[in-house]
Amino acid sequence: MNLKRLYQRLRDPRRAEADLDEEVRSFYDTMTARRVGQGLTPDEAHRITRAECGPPARTIEEVRDARVEAVFETVVQDLRYAIRLLRGSPGFAVVAVLSLALGIGANTAIYSFMESILLRSLPVADPESLVVLNWHSPPPQGGHVMHGIQGRFWPGDEGHLVSGIFPYPAFEMLREGNPAFSTLFGYFDGHNKTLVVHGQATRVSTEYVTGEYFRGLGVSPAAGRLIDSADDRPGAAPVAVISFAASQNRFGGPSGAVGQPVFVNNVPFTVVGVAPPKFFGVDPAAAPDLYLPLHTNLLVDGAEAARMYPDANFYWLEMMGRLRPGVSLAQAQAALAPRFHQWVAATATTDVERARLPALTLNPGAAGLGSLRREYSRPLYVLLAMVGLILAITCANIANLLLARAAARRREMALRLSLGAGRFRVVRQLLTESVMLASLGGALGVLFAIWGIRSLTFLLSDGQPNFTLHAELNWNVLGVTAALSVVCGLLFGLAPAIQSTRPDVVPALKNCPVGGPRRRVQHVLVVAQVAMAFLILVAAGLFVRTLDKLNSVPLGYARENILLFTLDARQAGHRDPEITAFYTNLRKRFESIPGVSSATLSHASIISAGHAGKTYRGAMMAGPAPVLGAIAMVAGPRYHTTMQIPILAGREIDDRDQPGSSPVAVISERLARTYFANQNPLGRKITFVDDKRDLEIVGVSANFRHGGLRNEEDSAMTVFVAVSQFSPDAMTYALRTAGDPLNYVRSVHEIVRQADPSMPVTNVVTQAAEIDRTISHEIMFAKLCTGFAVLALLIACVGLYGTMSYIVARQAGEIGIRMALGAQRGAVVWMVLRRVLLLVAAGLAISVPAALSASQLVKSFLFATRPNDPAALALAGAILVSAAILAGYAPARRASRIDPLAALRHE
Amino acid sequence: MNKPAELLQGTLDLLILRTLELQRLHGVGIADRLEQVTKGVFVVGPGSLFPALHRLADRGWIEGEWGELETGHRAKVYAITNAGRKRLAEEKRKWNRVSFAVNQVLAEES
Repeated sequence: MNLKRLYQRLRDPRRAEADLDEEVRSFYDTMTARRVGQGLTPDEAHRITRAECGPPARTIEEVRDARVEAVFETVVQDLRYAIRLLRGSPGFAVVAVLSLALGIGANTAIYSFMESILLRSLPVADPESLVVLNWHSPPPQGGHVMHGIQGRFWPGDEGHLVSGIFPYPAFEMLREGNPAFSTLFGYFDGHNKTLVVHGQATRVSTEYVTGEYFRGLGVSPAAGRLIDSADDRPGAAPVAVISFAASQNRFGGPSGAVGQPVFVNNVPFTVVGVAPPKFFGVDPAAAPDLYLPLHTNLLVDGAEAARMYPDANFYWLEMMGRLRPGVSLAQAQAALAPRFHQWVAATATTDVERARLPALTLNPGAAGLGSLRREYSRPLYVLLAMVGLILAITCANIANLLLARAAARRREMALRLSLGAGRFRVVRQLLTESVMLASLGGALGVLFAIWGIRSLTFLLSDGQPNFTLHAELNWNVLGVTAALSVVCGLLFGLAPAIQSTRPDVVPALKNCPVGGPRRRVQHVLVVAQVAMAFLILVAAGLFVRTLDKLNSVPLGYARENILLFTLDARQAGHRDPEITAFYTNLRKRFESIPGVSSATLSHASIISAGHAGKTYRGAMMAGPAPVLGAIAMVAGPRYHTTMQIPILAGREIDDRDQPGSSPVAVISERLARTYFANQNPLGRKITFVDDKRDLEIVGVSANFRHGGLRNEEDSAMTVFVAVSQFSPDAMTYALRTAGDPLNYVRSVHEIVRQADPSMPVTNVVTQAAEIDRTISHEIMFAKLCTGFAVLALLIACVGLYGTMSYIVARQAGEIGIRMALGAQRGAVVWMVLRRVLLLVAAGLAISVPAALSASQLVKSFLFATRPNDPAALALAGAILVSAAILAGYAPARRASRIDPLAALRHE
Repeated sequence: MNKPAELLQGTLDLLILRTLELQRLHGVGIADRLEQVTKGVFVVGPGSLFPALHRLADRGWIEGEWGELETGHRAKVYAITNAGRKRLAEEKRKWNRVSFAVNQVLAEES
């Protein structure tokens, strides 16, 4: 169809229809009029015309049918033509489809993660009307109405503190007569608890929820009933709702779970219902196995829980509300913020507190809580940018290959054009070909994406227990993939299509050498590929260097051959003073496992000692001086031997340290140097003020690093105290093993089962994996980016190779003349390579400044590496130049082998 | 009304192009002209004529324009385009080859 008619028809379809109608009617009128002229009455004439020609409506219908048929026919024609062409050059088709599949697959995989983290709504009724309640307050200096906090908070703008936890009285105040919400419900993380079903103990994650929780979310049970307001009262019969997955694991299905008695941390509960299969609570980062009524924490968590309810200055309960119909988020904010302000002002006790009151903010709750978004959105955007670049390189590459082919087909196109084929028709045909290529790539890309999602889930979850981030290929993702494929096809097909159908038909037919502009386009595409590949190479270089720096951070303790696991004897029912003997005996039995050279225990692993587990966290004094910033580490005998932390003076904690003997401490070197400068600390005292206890310093250990590898002080001050002289809760054991630590897990389970079958072994992990967990993002980035960089480099080199080959082939005549005139082979090789280097130099000229500014975006992911790290830039440049020379050498060599006579004859 | 067979459809295109090569005509005029020239062998009804006209116009081989007839009726008058002339030349060559070949075969058989 020619463009003018298509344009007219698209611009005004009704007019085109009316036009057709009038045209046909005028035909019938003419025929009728002619018959009237022959002497018939108008009625007769009309009747005969209709009988002969059929009704006009049918004629119009025929025209429309013909049009549809014509369009359909040409599409089928285009497709058939495209398949024929691709079959004619299978090498090109395979390279193009494979590289597209990689590019589209990578984008699909990353996008499916973004979809699941950033875009997907909670699987509950009408998620759009859910609202999360947060507060933000000025930086916490000099006092706060938050006298106590139990829960998460995170940094907001301008150093503000942001959180979603509130005192219980605030919840009650907001719940009563709320003008904006139809329901307000609360919940808080119950962390892991021991669940005993049919005498079998396992660790499960729990969530305490208020009575309005399930009603507010609008979910219905898979079996039984859900928790309601009557269950959430002090003294109510303890009931629990179990997740669908847990009902399958523990009871063989939802129906088997309802009505069953269970024990949660030794407290009897009755399972009254099962949550629906897709339901995971309100936080996509967590998936509780067990939902308990809020007030049952009085039974499970003991006396401390009772103090939480009346305290207006203790922040712990998270809240969500459901907007009343017709109330907007802004209206709800306007209604509730002053109410909260009034309430919170009354809880302030000093002027400083009154000046720094937290302010209520409402956020959309459709996607649940934002913890995953906060953690993963930036890494995912960076990854998406990278796979986007790779796809762009791929598209540029295929456009380039198509341009080369378009040159070969120019005669054919010129012939078709001169024979009257519309330019639009020819362009459409070429686009059909490229879109078909892209669709094949997209279809294959889905397979790559499935694989990519699996490996990415593996990388992201690296060692994290309870990993809940599950991306999937849903219709939304597949739709985006399909759209992406078509856009790619149009993108890389359009330039070649327009180029090869330029109206300057005559020179092409005469086989004149052409292509000033086309070669320019090819050059631009190669330069763009080089520039984009460089960006990815730099990113990979930065992340690899970061990982390298992190891995060479001195730890001060052993990383390899150590097995860690956690036991909680107190939850299994052991009490003081028997519990310390129980723990000590277990240690000895672990140490007797063949292959275990030493075993020890501590309140938490070294990585998490600063923030996890029960230890002394109050004030300390060294003589008259307060000790600032030291961590108390509750450790068992042979701790330093097992961890290979050198003892510089005195001794480590050992079996001599008994509950009855005098309390001892081992301090780290930095603490000794800071508070006992120029003195021998051995025999001196360190005081735990809150415990009113003096500990005698019996040893000094070398410094070691606390916490993760990032941003932690390399020589934090530590005070080791003996487990036997401390009332411990859960303890983390460490076994120094010969060979792979995980080989000993079975023996550990066996020993624990003999000691107390109701006590589960949890958090089983090697020390190396525990350390790597703290840098899992960095490891993931380094691995992925290296893969991406190799891919980008490969594609860019294929592009360079293809372009240079094409140029050499086009210039065969010129090169032949030069050689006939006496040019040396070396000079010819250099002529081609010089062009390669010029293209690379142009790419780098664009890309180095771009890399310098773009790398600022990933600054927060780097460690001990500057975003403009010269080594990373230089390395990326060197790799790129060598790869380019490699890619350009084959065509250059081919150029130097051109036979001048043959080339000239061809000309 | 018989729908023309595939060969006939192509033939109709050829005949319309040829007719319009000689003069601009409206729908009725083309039908009359074909009937007259082929001495009644081809009687083209509007059910085949208009689809063919629109197909040719869609491809840019002919162009229609509204005009007034001597009788005072408004009608769309078609004219061949340059692309149409080229197409006609090609179709003519093809047709000559085909008809020559077919005639050969038929002559041999009798």
